[in-house]
Amino acid sequence: MTAAAHDLELRGVTKRFGSFVAVDDVSLVVEKGQFVCLLGPSGCGKTTTLRLIAGLEEADAGEIRIAGARVDDVPPWRRDIAMMFQDFALFPHMTVARQVGFGLEMLRQPREEIRRRVGEILDTFEIAGLGPRKPDTLSGGQKQRVALARALITRPRILLLDEPIGSLDFSLREAVMLELKDVQRRAGISFVWVTHDQNEAFSLGDRVVVMNHARIEQVGEPEEIFELPRTRFVAAFIQGHNVFDGTVERADATGVVVATSAGRFVVPLRDTPAPAPGAAASFSVRAELLDERPGPEHANRVLATCHAVEYLGSVRRWDLRLADGRSVKLERSGRTACRLAEGETVTLGWRIDDTVLHAPAEGVGGVGGHIGAPHVDQ
Amino acid sequence: MSTLRERSPVAYALAGPVTLWMAAALVAPTLFIVWVSLWTTRTFSTANPLGVVNYVRFFHRPAYVKVLADTVEQALLLMAITGLVGYGIAYFLAVKVERPGVRLALFLAFVIPFWTSALIRTIAWIPFLGVGGVINTALLALRVVDRPVEAFLFSRAGITLAQVSFYTLLAAGPVVYTLRNIPRSLREAAHCLKASPLRVFWRIVLPLTLPGIVIGQILVFLNVMADFATAQAIGGHKLAYLGNLVIMLYESGQLPFASVIAVLLMACMLAGVAVLLKVVDVRRLGAP
Repeated sequence: MTAAAHDLELRGVTKRFGSFVAVDDVSLVVEKGQFVCLLGPSGCGKTTTLRLIAGLEEADAGEIRIAGARVDDVPPWRRDIAMMFQDFALFPHMTVARQVGFGLEMLRQPREEIRRRVGEILDTFEIAGLGPRKPDTLSGGQKQRVALARALITRPRILLLDEPIGSLDFSLREAVMLELKDVQRRAGISFVWVTHDQNEAFSLGDRVVVMNHARIEQVGEPEEIFELPRTRFVAAFIQGHNVFDGTVERADATGVVVATSAGRFVVPLRDTPAPAPGAAASFSVRAELLDERPGPEHANRVLATCHAVEYLGSVRRWDLRLADGRSVKLERSGRTACRLAEGETVTLGWRIDDTVLHAPAEGVGGVGGHIGAPHVDQ
Repeated sequence: MSTLRERSPVAYALAGPVTLWMAAALVAPTLFIVWVSLWTTRTFSTANPLGVVNYVRFFHRPAYVKVLADTVEQALLLMAITGLVGYGIAYFLAVKVERPGVRLALFLAFVIPFWTSALIRTIAWIPFLGVGGVINTALLALRVVDRPVEAFLFSRAGITLAQVSFYTLLAAGPVVYTLRNIPRSLREAAHCLKASPLRVFWRIVLPLTLPGIVIGQILVFLNVMADFATAQAIGGHKLAYLGNLVIMLYESGQLPFASVIAVLLMACMLAGVAVLLKVVDVRRLGAP
């Protein structure tokens, strides 16, 4: 292993089930000790990607490297990984102590050594008392800890987690998330965490990989994903964005004018090349960056009527309708002066700089999967 | 889960009809057989006291005791063979065949022969095993032998072959069920914990299918113990098991002695089932 080797590297990995492409040309690098979240709707290929890394599925194309070495022909039991399953996959016929020590037993460690390390790890996870119990007598939270202890006891390089807190009670999740993050930091193990929950991905991940239709839509730090969604799908999937679709009317070096059925808007160009006039384009603006009393700096404007107000505790959300009937969300957190009432019509404005142009949709599938965001057709 | 509380009167009321039926159709005849086995004369009269003379007579005849031993031995042999073959078939069907359509087709191919009567299945073996039968014709054609082998029919080997074909389904069925009940994630989790396929089998799959194996073994044991038709059709009159003995004695009018053997047969079956149930708590079958 060279010093420069990444913990994990995927290059152009593709997996098909019959004619269905589950993972399409996915490339990804995980640095040592990194916490990476694969985020996407169900069926987007995130779990298959995880299973490919584990060796539970065989890739049809591309290569996977763990610590620099190709593992495409290495079976799961010889890969330096561990995996936590959504249902925990605890062995029903083994006591907690026995199954936590299972990995070491398979590595043919001496019995005394296994006993000592099982004791240690049970202490670490504060489940020392559970040793003689069988899985069917454990609570969800206890099962989760046992599964984690069982996975980590062999000190793997990478831990793969498939929706590991998805089956826990909602009240437990926050605490378990913090604990897992802490475990990951202290053990220095790379985590690849699959989830469909953006809160999980954003609060845990050093990097977030958004997937859709078997492909990676965007890779970046949580802030980057949230503030600059690269594609229409990302903007629509991540909550808190208003997505607009239209056609490019004019373009110059600094920005484009996009005509939509709700009006014309100026969208700045960042690192994307200027699209040709007449091309389809989509852009988004975050719900909390809309201003209901726009000033001179809020150059993009649209007339909207308040349809409903949602109170979500620390956040208040207004659902407004544009002239073409599409919905737009406005969000304010904390104590806000915004007092829009249902039925009221206002001019919403936002800064040109807060408008994010999406990369054009590529290949098959195109745009889709919009969730709770406006979709303005031509 | 039942919505009835264990001791609710409704539960007793619902259990009533079947209890009456079982009492009339199963318990009463069984007690009757036990009673007849204790008669000291061929016919019943109040003048003759009940006694165990028939049992004493049975155990004083080495030929009869040998039949008892042969029957138990045959049952154990069948349990071993169908256990191994049945597990192999079950594992193939439940684990190796991944396409549901193919699995169903193979399962039906395995099960459909059992829709015909046991008698027909038994008789079907005769042209297969006989001197001019399929096996002998094939062996002659392949020049493996130069004279037809007579030992296939009217032999223990022939009976065993036929019984294996009848009872493998009983051994395999419950194993298919328990294998299908093992979530794939358990095997995958074991693989990710450094277990090779062989060790996954020994440490995860086999222990979790033990209830299915035991149920299958009970079914095979009970059926082979009670099987008289196969020995009669394929073994001719050369070989006898306890079941054949019961028929022989019944036909010659020795009702008390036939009952003795029936009672001993039942006792062996109960003992066998008790031993097998010690191995595994079958009530947990189907539990996750």
